[in-house]
Amino acid sequence: MAISFRGPGPIPIDLNVNGEERTVFIEPRRTLLSVLREELGLTGAKHGCGRGQCGACTVIIDGETAYACLTLAVDCEGRSIRTIESVSHGEQLHPVQEAFIEHDGYQCGFCTPGQVVAAVSLLEHNPSPTEAEVREAMAGNVCRCGAYPNIVTAVLDAARQGTGRDPGVSGATVASGEEG
Amino acid sequence: MKPFSHGNATSIEEALEALSGMSWPLAGGTDLLALMKEEVAAPERLVNLKTILGLDAIAERQSGNENEWHIGALTTLSALSQTPAFADHLGLRCLVQAAQESASPQLRHMATLGGNLVQRPRCWYFRNRHVPCWRKGGRRCFAFKGENKYHTILGGGPCYAVHPSDPAVALLALNASLLIAGAQGRRVVSLEDFYVMPRPDRQREDGYHPVTILEPNEILTAIVVPEPQANSRSVYVKRTERGAWDFALVSAAASLRLEDDVVKEARIALGGVAAIPWRANAVEEVLIGQPLSPELIEHAAGAAVAEAKPLEHNAYKVDLIKGALRQALQI
Amino acid sequence: MPTIRKTQVEFEGRIEEREVIVEEEHIESWGHDVEMRWVGKPTPRVDGIARVTGKAVYTHDIQLPGMLIGRFLRSPFPHARITRIDSSAAEALPGVSLVWHKGKQPAVRSLDGRAIFVDEVNYEGAEVAFVAARDERVAEDALALIEVDYEPLPFASDFHTATAADAPSVVLGEDNWIDREGDLYERGSVEAGLTDADVVVELEFTTPVAAHCCLETHGSAVAWEGDLVTVWHSTQSIFGTRSSVAEALEIPMDRVRVISDYIGGGFGSKWGAEAFTLMAALAARETGRPVKVVLNREEEHLVAGYRPGTYQRVRLGAKQDGTLTLIEQEADVTTGAFGGGGHVVGGPAKDLYLCPNVRTRVRAARANTDGARAFRAPGYVEGTVALEGAMDALAHKLRMDPLALRLANYAEKSPSRGQSYSYKGLRRAYEMGAERFGWSDRTASAQSDEGPWRRGVGMASQIWGGGGGPPANAIVKLLPDGTAEVAVGVQDIGTGTKTVLTQVAAEELGLPLSAVRCVVGDTLPAPFGPGSGGSVTLASSTPAVRSACREALRQLIELAAIMLGLEEAPAGDFTVEEGEIVYGPDPEKRIPFNQVTAKMGNYMIVAKGARGPNPEDRAVNTFGAHYVQVAVNVETGQVRVERLVAAHDIGRVVNPLTAESQVFGGVVMALGYGTTEERVIDPDTGLQLTPNLEEYKVPVMVDIPEIEVVFVDVPDVEANSVGSKGLGEPPIIPAAAAIANAVFDAVGVRVTDLPITPKRLLAALRQAATESKEGTR
Ligand SMILES: Cc1cc2nc3c(=O)[nH]c(=O)nc-3n(C[C@H](O)[C@H](O)[C@H](O)COP(=O)(O)OP(=O)(O)OC[C@H]3O[C@@H](n4cnc5c(N)ncnc54)[C@H](O)[C@@H]3O)c2cc1C
Repeated sequence: MAISFRGPGPIPIDLNVNGEERTVFIEPRRTLLSVLREELGLTGAKHGCGRGQCGACTVIIDGETAYACLTLAVDCEGRSIRTIESVSHGEQLHPVQEAFIEHDGYQCGFCTPGQVVAAVSLLEHNPSPTEAEVREAMAGNVCRCGAYPNIVTAVLDAARQGTGRDPGVSGATVASGEEG
Repeated sequence: MKPFSHGNATSIEEALEALSGMSWPLAGGTDLLALMKEEVAAPERLVNLKTILGLDAIAERQSGNENEWHIGALTTLSALSQTPAFADHLGLRCLVQAAQESASPQLRHMATLGGNLVQRPRCWYFRNRHVPCWRKGGRRCFAFKGENKYHTILGGGPCYAVHPSDPAVALLALNASLLIAGAQGRRVVSLEDFYVMPRPDRQREDGYHPVTILEPNEILTAIVVPEPQANSRSVYVKRTERGAWDFALVSAAASLRLEDDVVKEARIALGGVAAIPWRANAVEEVLIGQPLSPELIEHAAGAAVAEAKPLEHNAYKVDLIKGALRQALQI
Repeated sequence: MPTIRKTQVEFEGRIEEREVIVEEEHIESWGHDVEMRWVGKPTPRVDGIARVTGKAVYTHDIQLPGMLIGRFLRSPFPHARITRIDSSAAEALPGVSLVWHKGKQPAVRSLDGRAIFVDEVNYEGAEVAFVAARDERVAEDALALIEVDYEPLPFASDFHTATAADAPSVVLGEDNWIDREGDLYERGSVEAGLTDADVVVELEFTTPVAAHCCLETHGSAVAWEGDLVTVWHSTQSIFGTRSSVAEALEIPMDRVRVISDYIGGGFGSKWGAEAFTLMAALAARETGRPVKVVLNREEEHLVAGYRPGTYQRVRLGAKQDGTLTLIEQEADVTTGAFGGGGHVVGGPAKDLYLCPNVRTRVRAARANTDGARAFRAPGYVEGTVALEGAMDALAHKLRMDPLALRLANYAEKSPSRGQSYSYKGLRRAYEMGAERFGWSDRTASAQSDEGPWRRGVGMASQIWGGGGGPPANAIVKLLPDGTAEVAVGVQDIGTGTKTVLTQVAAEELGLPLSAVRCVVGDTLPAPFGPGSGGSVTLASSTPAVRSACREALRQLIELAAIMLGLEEAPAGDFTVEEGEIVYGPDPEKRIPFNQVTAKMGNYMIVAKGARGPNPEDRAVNTFGAHYVQVAVNVETGQVRVERLVAAHDIGRVVNPLTAESQVFGGVVMALGYGTTEERVIDPDTGLQLTPNLEEYKVPVMVDIPEIEVVFVDVPDVEANSVGSKGLGEPPIIPAAAAIANAVFDAVGVRVTDLPITPKRLLAALRQAATESKEGTR
């Protein structure tokens, strides 16, 4: 069988974003980030660099964090994508979010959605990380305002609250994240 | 990014059939998409390899009397470093360390080992679309007489960009080889032969001077690492400017087998010093057959840089690589 | 009543007499012992939920129906003449709405008096053409279709090249010198200082060009509705943007509304309308559709400013006992082709120490790069690296404790102005920091070397303004439900402004925090507020909020008096307690706030307040001292900052939680400045080699030391009615100098060329080794 190539013009693509099936009509060259932001109205993930050098676009794909700016949307067909918009449920914040607020784990806030997503994913994989583990796991998210010390405190505090196991909160299901 | 069309390969054969100078394999995309955004690469078609089942598997296999590890080319760096069989394996430790110290957590989830070995240089002239450097088909290397603090100290030009991969250095020390599939069939190439020094006669159609022998219509399917002999141990040491998410200024991988403190076997590879991951034969010669004493280590470190020819701004790498090697040998 | 009057205005390190509108409104400052309910308490941000859920809307996130995307084609040369430009293919591309360049000019051609699309481009990234199109892809495809022929011209990328005898013109027809004689300050004389000195040290320093790297790149989105233009602009000054947009478009200011609800970092680089703002506005007017233009990361590095690099020479003279006799500092600053940046490098030398003989000179030259911009304590960071590095060298030479040397030269009055300080807590900061750090036991840490790691400690101190001043206004509305809305024309650039304004209003009104809503970042509902620069926002705007709240209460009390049947009682007899208005002489007579407001129906109390004048004949400044411990690896050249104690005097700390964040931020930025960050320009092509976040290395999580923050926290009751001064800039000022001093302490070699990368450290160690070998020979 020969590969059937699609594009370069717009093609229909099915995406599973935050548990919802969404179809978009886009060129293959579109990054996941541009599709989330421009087609799906999910502007929580930010465009900071476009080169995998800042982390503001961090999302969770099939249970693992990834940079949406270096991911093609077409490559996400059949995979489950979770964005910052899925982390809280209406008024109910995720413990990581609560902890960011309590410990002032941000300043301008632009990197914050990416930081929160990275932290949520960390705690899903490792519910009680050490400080060193938090630092390593969060090393892929730049905060130019330098809120780092408070981010570490917030993540450790959220871990202490036992986020990894709270079934009532979105995104708290461990590891595979298949159900999006 | 220029428009392109995209296809999902479901088998190696399918992928091979589709590949050409303008039709490139796509793995994690962390390098390829960045090059395309920079307009340093502009393939017309991308062949997605991630849809080929099984290319991300890691398995131990028997080959003659030896055991070897087959690491599928699509294995991500994070999967590699989390493989339980590798994690506590003293002999293979350098590979896990190299993978773990590469890039950032997110990138390691995305980046594949195959893509990592095939990635292009990070040289700041090469990646600048306005600079017609030799590696891209231009006439000269701009780093040679320019800003070269990150550039090579060994092996010379005509391109002075270092090879950026951490895992490649570890794999070189582990005597890895690569399984390559092409339209003409499969071949096995040692990692050492996979990388080629910059040579004018190897230019591609689009002007690019490749770092590897991989042809445009070939794909890397697996990385084969021989099971180290008993008593082997290996270490990867990486030096950076920033604590994480930084390419190596220099790095050293050492794989040693000791008996009663005497070095029986040694493979030493250096990163960040040459256009390709650098096998330090001279260091190995110094080490083999000798008791691993501080004097020997010092001697070995000296041997590593005996041939070094630093450029205007990178003499510090001579000290750095000696230190990295010393540390790698001490552990 | 507002009047116009001359007053001392201090901004970004410069002090000027300026005529400003002042409303004489004296409110007694909250004293030392006033019991506070909200002010001074750690308070999580009032807009925290929006920030952590991704719902906060930044300029990048603006999406309007039918919106077009604008992009620029930019010069790939540092200096060139455009000889031909053909955009026909781009114009023909479906989805392209318009293309502008020097051959097809927009309705307005210039900004701030400088034409945008011209023949001669003077820096990499200079605007060559603009495209507005359906989306980003089409816009970028269109840019690729524009054909441009350039005739490259000779260029200079650095001060030395630009000021050499046969230097090429950076801008044809203009002198490469911006300030050849230099900005000179002198008191006493250098000769006297040298004559009186027992010891003299002289050092040279180089500081790097540093990029702001706002994570949200610069951008604007513009929409017209009739003759009213709304501009979403990621800015540190909504009102500054309003006036610059109005001026550029030649329309009345009130026709411009500027919104900057959330701003993804500014650090001094985001002010008024820029070329992209103007093009967005013009394209939106021409097409009748909203237009958004956002820079990409590369453009951010190329055209959004930087802290200029400096070459400095410092000479200090002192008596054997440490008394300074001379401070001489000369700095050469490389700015952009068209200047910019505000390089008050000599500021700290003038004012940090008591010294009779001081001379500073700052010269500036152009180079073929975009303009420098203010960057968090512009000039002071650069100047402090050199001054405090030299002080450390002097202490070493005198065999004196670096802290004792500083205390020996403590200035009780402003040395350059001769005025007393409204309050100066630097001595306290020195002491508190030293105590927390364990400075007196510092030799112990130096003995804890491990293998190739050498430990060392260092310190440095800081002066900055941040007193703020008029004009700044606030409007407070008391709503029928008994809650309040406070509108102030400032913006919250991540400093927590919205939160501190809410705290101050709640305090003054006697309301719970949750009953106060604060509106900033929008010129429509809010009266004038200052730009967020010079660390003035809090000290300028919180007193205005206090004053508006008092006026609102006055009105409320009048109504309450009527409702209590006490029309005749003097207003002074009423107090506000826990949301109730209480009649002093008979405390039984009281009425809750919301009972009064509920009676108002649709009526609401609207009150305006103003920032009163600064005290006459007082210098208002902020101070701090940083103590740091580093470990330096002599084999790898790594500098690991292990611990940093930052002690700051900023008057009253309104919100300890966000204040601590400010200090963390400044220290982290200084850490990058001191050890990893550096813009590199290729000398051969004049192109920037570091226009991204890979080569331009800002600190990441694993680089961050243990940072401890201590505040003197004594209200500066003379400064303003809240007793607070600014904190945005102070913490970035001394940290890099302290780190460099600690490195010296660790390895005995002074690296005076920042950032201290492995390359520089190893080179310095190598050189020192050679010198000492030669010395013993
Ligand atoms: C900010 C940043 C920091 C980084 N830091 C480091 C670091 O510290 N250390 C380090 O080692 N790396 C680092 N990297 C590089 C990163 O590891 C590589 O980009 C990644 O490994 C490439 O793998 P990929 O699967 O994403 O490859 P892709 O980007 O998909 O492909 C890269 C190239 O390989 C080709 N290719 C991919 N797979 C195959 C195959 N199986 N057969 C044939 N050709 C193939 C593609 O056609 C393309 O030319 C960094 C990257 C970024 C963006």
